[in-house]
Amino acid sequence: MIVMQKRLSRRTFLRGVGVTVALPWLDAMVPAFAAPADINPPIRLVFAYVPNGMIMDEWKPKTVGKNFEFPRILKPLEPFREDMLVLTGLAHRNGEIAPGDHAAASATYLTGVAPKRTTGADVLLGISADQVAALAIGSKTRLASLELGCEASPSVGSCDGGFGCAYVNNLSWRNATTPIAPETNPRVVFERLYGGLDTDPDPKVRARLGENRKSMLDYIMNQTERLAGTLGPSDRRKIDEYLTSLRDIEKRIARMESENQRELTPNMEKPLGVPNGFVEHARLMNDLLRVALQADLTRIGTLIYARESSSRAYPELGFTDAHHPLTHHRNREELIEKVKKIECHHAEQFAHLVKNLKAAKEGDGSLLDHSMVVYGSSMSDPNRHVHEDAPCVLLGRGDGSIKPGRHIIYPETPQTNLRLALLERMGVHAEKLGDSTGKLDGLTDL
Amino acid sequence: MKKVYWLLLFLPLLNWADGPGAPKPAYSADFATSIQPFFAKNCYSCHSAKLKTGGLNLEAYVNAASIAQEPERFEKILQRLKAGEMPPKTVPRPDAEELKLATDGIREELDRAYQAAKPASPRVLARRLNRTEYNNTVRDLLGIDSKPARDFPQDDSAYGFDNVAQALSVSPTLMEKYLATAERVAREALFGPTLKTETVVFLPPVPRRMEFTNRLRVEPAAYYSMHDYDQTGLSHPGSFHLKYRFPADGEYVIRVVGAGFRPNGSDPGRMDLWFDGKLAQSFTVEVNVEQSGFERRPDHWDLRLRVPAGYHEIVVAYPKQYHGLPTAFGGPEPSKTAYDPCKILGNGAGRCSANDFNLPEETEPERIERRRQQIERLKEDELHPRFEGMAVSEVNIIGPSDFKTGPSPESVRKIYTCSAVNGRYTAACERQIVSNLASRAYRRPVTYQGIEELLTIAAGARKRRGSFEEGLSLVIASMLASPNFLFRVDKERPAAEAAQQAGQYELASRLSYFLWSSIPDQELLREAGKGTLRRPDVLEAQVRRMLADSNAQALVESFAGQWLETRRLESVQPDRERYPDFDDYLRESISKETELFFQYVMQKDQPVLDFIDGQYTFLNERLASHYGILGVTGTEFRRVDLTGTGRSGILTQASVLTVSSYGNRTSPVLRGKWVLENILNAPPPPPPANVPSLNEDAVGATASLRQQIEEHRKNAVCASCHARMDPLGFGLENYDAVGAWRTLDGKFPIDSSGVLPNGRTFQGAAELKTILKEQQEAFAEGLTEKLLIYALGRSIEREERAEVRRIVARTATDNYKFSSLILGIVNSALFQMNAAYER
Repeated sequence: MIVMQKRLSRRTFLRGVGVTVALPWLDAMVPAFAAPADINPPIRLVFAYVPNGMIMDEWKPKTVGKNFEFPRILKPLEPFREDMLVLTGLAHRNGEIAPGDHAAASATYLTGVAPKRTTGADVLLGISADQVAALAIGSKTRLASLELGCEASPSVGSCDGGFGCAYVNNLSWRNATTPIAPETNPRVVFERLYGGLDTDPDPKVRARLGENRKSMLDYIMNQTERLAGTLGPSDRRKIDEYLTSLRDIEKRIARMESENQRELTPNMEKPLGVPNGFVEHARLMNDLLRVALQADLTRIGTLIYARESSSRAYPELGFTDAHHPLTHHRNREELIEKVKKIECHHAEQFAHLVKNLKAAKEGDGSLLDHSMVVYGSSMSDPNRHVHEDAPCVLLGRGDGSIKPGRHIIYPETPQTNLRLALLERMGVHAEKLGDSTGKLDGLTDL
Repeated sequence: MKKVYWLLLFLPLLNWADGPGAPKPAYSADFATSIQPFFAKNCYSCHSAKLKTGGLNLEAYVNAASIAQEPERFEKILQRLKAGEMPPKTVPRPDAEELKLATDGIREELDRAYQAAKPASPRVLARRLNRTEYNNTVRDLLGIDSKPARDFPQDDSAYGFDNVAQALSVSPTLMEKYLATAERVAREALFGPTLKTETVVFLPPVPRRMEFTNRLRVEPAAYYSMHDYDQTGLSHPGSFHLKYRFPADGEYVIRVVGAGFRPNGSDPGRMDLWFDGKLAQSFTVEVNVEQSGFERRPDHWDLRLRVPAGYHEIVVAYPKQYHGLPTAFGGPEPSKTAYDPCKILGNGAGRCSANDFNLPEETEPERIERRRQQIERLKEDELHPRFEGMAVSEVNIIGPSDFKTGPSPESVRKIYTCSAVNGRYTAACERQIVSNLASRAYRRPVTYQGIEELLTIAAGARKRRGSFEEGLSLVIASMLASPNFLFRVDKERPAAEAAQQAGQYELASRLSYFLWSSIPDQELLREAGKGTLRRPDVLEAQVRRMLADSNAQALVESFAGQWLETRRLESVQPDRERYPDFDDYLRESISKETELFFQYVMQKDQPVLDFIDGQYTFLNERLASHYGILGVTGTEFRRVDLTGTGRSGILTQASVLTVSSYGNRTSPVLRGKWVLENILNAPPPPPPANVPSLNEDAVGATASLRQQIEEHRKNAVCASCHARMDPLGFGLENYDAVGAWRTLDGKFPIDSSGVLPNGRTFQGAAELKTILKEQQEAFAEGLTEKLLIYALGRSIEREERAEVRRIVARTATDNYKFSSLILGIVNSALFQMNAAYER
């Protein structure tokens, strides 16, 4: 039999993508995926990120309230006018750290915390908003949260102004010292969501495998506990991380076994690796995020279209200038024009995600109706590294808890206030996040 | 309590450090006689209590203790004095002897202070295997070479390396991977890979159209500029090469999907398919003109062959792109085939002349118009044939078919130390196999109880399925997911409140993960078991054996690749328009050059100073031609003498020159920074905020890059660092952003002269390297420190630099030989001791 697989770029291949599919580890534990216990569709939270600020003149609508005219960069989102809030005036003041504004921009985006300047292993930041949610409600789904990226991070070389790459590569931080790396390989994401599709259909075989795995887990757990007992405190911290992750998996197995089971087939084709171009890559990541939310495999996602201070070039736009250098445009029109083109290009990719979410029917509405999707960047003017008045739009209705269709201007407010307001709508009651001063209001008002 | 560690550090427990060759300071300086007078004579004129130039008042330091109180400041002073940056070139140079006395004196005071100090950072001993180590470990443990860790999340790096304990965490995603991979690897080792016939598609790395502009009319001269040098045709336009790990012995079809266009009236083209460096088959490619003449019709050619499992190289090339074209092109060996209008209008049923503008039967105006346009373009083609070249649009590997699966001989050898595949189960045999595997996987002997636990797991699995192998498989999977496998912890000498020697098995692991990124082999484990590994003669013999072993390639790939930053070559994207020569073959060649160079220094035990100016390198024809070096033919890399070429050492290797450039131009700043970090061991601080960047568009248009950078440096804030960085980079300006020689940048002539902060001047890379080589001690210290970070998986603290200097001083007496540096590290207390743990 010949299985035609999807195309695989050569570079991808060199990075080591093979053709055999790993058997989904957890699948043998349960015949199929667990169904959500809730009858009402849950609220989903997504943060989609683009780097290097925005040309605000063409992002910010000229008028407040309803019926504003869509500026050029937001234009791709115009079809979703009635699903969208433009939030102006939100700031990431803790990102005002020079040098290293870019590292600080990505670091503060979801945490509101100023990063510790270090290129070593002693990174220090704070928990990110998505992880606050993941801690609180992540146990309800197969994956507590999903972190996606469209740009692999460099494995060597320093990042920005004496800040380690961890601050630039990651938006999600499980706690002050542990970033969660976004996965950039669509195939790996797919396998995380669904496992391979060649799981043995014979329940007897699966039961046997399950038994085997249980004895394996018991052994490992035993070994770990014994090992931890012999260690000094600093070593212990390392083994504890391992133990925490192991327990996490045990808990998930237990959860899956206790729940009802339903058949679930992914409604997308399995990707085979990292595609060649940005557009295809972004499309796959959009799709993966959408199917994960739709199947309730997770309720919390972050999607980094490009890393902060990214020097990615977009040849599909007809020029090959790198993004970050371009944004230091020194107010030269021809450079600004190119930056705008890139920003429109990003917005188009995001619009695809929104379109997909809106097209996915759920309950009496759409998946978008039950979602809260934030799109933006951590800086406004990247030429001067301005961290206030950052570009921010919010898509979705949060299951009726948000009244979209407007442009709201706030007096300068920490963007963490928006994070808290969104968390609250998911039933996650957090009082403080980084530099927050309260919960952003005005999202529900007409 | 912590002090104990530091005292121990300098105990004479390491015999060579106190041996006859051990360096002793040539003098004993004292503050009042050699340091203070030096400051007074050379520095007080600016750095006085009154002037405090640069915020520095040297009059405030009255005795040796004041040095110890501000080590950081004095390290900086020392660095600037030694580099000749201070006193500034505007005042007379200090007397060389007095300078040496003063700097040595400060050095000694600092080192004394460090001996009394305590370590600044917590030291983690438990190190999780990183991806490379995991891959190598399962290769050496089970004979599985499929690099199963490639799908693990990327390891974070710190201090420049991705094996730093503190930075390596275990996320739930990684945990999942560990469990799934453990199972998969175990099954592959015992039952062979799970296989089915599949098609893997490889695409050229860039869209083909970027290489062949549609309707491009090539200037006749271009036909001849294409070299015939490279016999595999790798460098020919439109060629494509790939490396693939064939999962099993079996039959495969290699399918080349071609695309492209040869003008009507050309001779058929030729496409060669090379397999592992040998021409496997030549295909004749008919002139590919479709009915319309405008659309490409992809065609494909198949080669079916039996392939043994493992990595193989496939090249597809069109060796004679420009041969056999219509005479109008003026190319070599013009075509003997006549223009054939029927070929174009093949479907036009009998209308074989482009001049026949016969109306088709249909009469819709659109169709008539389309037909008319078609004919117009055909006429145009006839008059001015266009040429697009042929290329590979994809290569598919279809297979395996007709394969046998089963454990590889290597796996069988490593697992079945008793019994055989499908052998009969006996309890004794199972015990032997399991205890052998466990002691290797855990890198130390496993207790009776430990083996019992594993045997219980096997028994459980055997009960459920009944086979001996199923039991072993579950045991192996369990071991591979165990923290005792995934983490390196010294269990013989668990962390204590005082520092102590590492256990013998721990020492064996440290050695093997340092030099091999893998588990200790039987011989190391045997020495550890005998308790003899620490014996100097044994240790030295082992290190030499390990460096000569093929596994030491790990040091080349992991250490050198990160130290020299050449790992980035895989992802750099030089601007294709500016550097059209930079194809993947060149990318691989320049990477290989640096690998081979490092490997040579390591295996031939050359002085590490060869990295600065070794008069040799390793080239194949492609790279030699990139460098403009004659007389190297073929694809094989060989050692080439560089005398007289202007190139030497690593600084003028294309790999380093490329990773220290931007995609579209060179960067003297980046290169200067690279030299400061990797050669002079004096990394510059990060740039201040809101630095205006260069005017990219103006580079090469209204001002040379150099002029622009010099403009930039007029800013006093920038100048202090850029005066150190930029001149170093200017010295390398004769090499473009992909390392080719040049004399012009745009329309501006290259000026590769430079003035260093100490006033020394140089002209070009060769003279720059002469100056750099004078700083050999600094270079060796930097390299040693990086090797130590890599070996220990942690940062090296300022206080520990004294140990670094001791290693270097010792190495210097052995002509900086590579092995003496490695031995120095392996013998150092830093490598041999377990630190006291921290609360």
